Amino acid sequence: MKLSKKVVLLGHFGVGKTSLFRRFMDDEFSEDYKVTLGVQIKKNIIEMPDGRELSMIIWDTEGHTNIEDTRKSYLLGSNAFIYVFDLTREETYKNLPNDLDYLSKNYPKVVIKILGNKCDLINEKETLLQLKNLNINYNCITSAKTNKNVQDFFLDLANEIAR
Amino acid sequence: MEESDKLKILKELLFTEEKEYTDSIAEKLEILSKIVYEKQELSHKVDPIIDDKLEIFVKEIPKTLGPTITEALKEEIKNSQDAVVEALFPIIGKMIKKYIAHEMKLLSENISRKTKSAFSFKNWFKRKKAKVQGISTGDLEITEYGKPQLVQMFVIEKNSGLLIADYSPLSENTIDKEMVAGMLTAIKSFVEDAFEEGNQNLETIEYELFTIHIQNFYSYYIAAVVAGAYNINFKERLENQILEFAQKYISKKDLESNELFTKKIKKYFENEIV
Repeated sequence: MKLSKKVVLLGHFGVGKTSLFRRFMDDEFSEDYKVTLGVQIKKNIIEMPDGRELSMIIWDTEGHTNIEDTRKSYLLGSNAFIYVFDLTREETYKNLPNDLDYLSKNYPKVVIKILGNKCDLINEKETLLQLKNLNINYNCITSAKTNKNVQDFFLDLANEIAR
Repeated sequence: MEESDKLKILKELLFTEEKEYTDSIAEKLEILSKIVYEKQELSHKVDPIIDDKLEIFVKEIPKTLGPTITEALKEEIKNSQDAVVEALFPIIGKMIKKYIAHEMKLLSENISRKTKSAFSFKNWFKRKKAKVQGISTGDLEITEYGKPQLVQMFVIEKNSGLLIADYSPLSENTIDKEMVAGMLTAIKSFVEDAFEEGNQNLETIEYELFTIHIQNFYSYYIAAVVAGAYNINFKERLENQILEFAQKYISKKDLESNELFTKKIKKYFENEIV
């Protein structure tokens, strides 16, 4: 049996949404930064442990400093949101609690995952302590560049939304 | 004899020669003024001279003014390329249209010739059909070739852009239908958001020889890819057919089962030639 699920990548400009998207979809990484305009869509078929096939349709949206500026029609009908922030830039996660509040109020049925990207560029101990002090909760830290935790994160998400 | 008469006689004697001379000048002046003031007379005299000069001037233009004009034109075109393109565009468009019309006429004549020479019952029927319609068999063939044809049909969930079902009357193609469904939804959402026209929906997308007909329903929409001339008649027929299909055959259960829905849509549109 085949399942189709829509997953939307959200977050500020330059946090690495497209890099994560490309790493997961094509196992590629590029240092060149190109701003995403509008949205790009790709599909990854994931073989589930129970034998089902999951078509994960990922919508990589353009970055916004304010989550409320994200085009609402892109968010409708989603099965999961991946909120990506940049571990090296505080301004990309300092509003996280408010942004999450907005998402869970407006899209109560959608699974929300928080992902701190660019972990290859930080002193992990210091940054994680800082996140703790700012009361920032996250699900995973990743590096699109080194591929750290990227595949596992998406596969775990696939398992969760396929249930 | 009075004094004044004497003086007159003396004048005549003394100025006879001068008088003749002035008289001849006066006569010449009269002729000249007649030539100058009467246009026809003047042109009769002047035109041959002007014509000769003009002829020489025209002959000399390529040599004398040619390089200057060419240079000026080159410079002008270089400096205002956009304006030149703008000006030429409609002319070129008309030329292309004329050329295509001419080529279509030739093609039509060619087809007519070939169908006449090859006998078959199909051709015979075509000839009869063309005769009834009052057109040549070539024109009929061309009309039939340009007929709109359903290439692909997608049933897409409105909000998520996820593909619910699809049908293609042609052989399997390589496009990723789920990606197409997603992108169509993104384009549709973008256009509808951009114009902020409340509940208005995007109804058609055109690209080259294809038209995507979009018909919106409450929780899903149907996108039909049409090749050929998508005209009002075809649009109406397609709309009615999709409406009938949605009304009679689509239930909530279908929207949840891709396989069941795909079978249904295939069965319906296989038999109903749009």
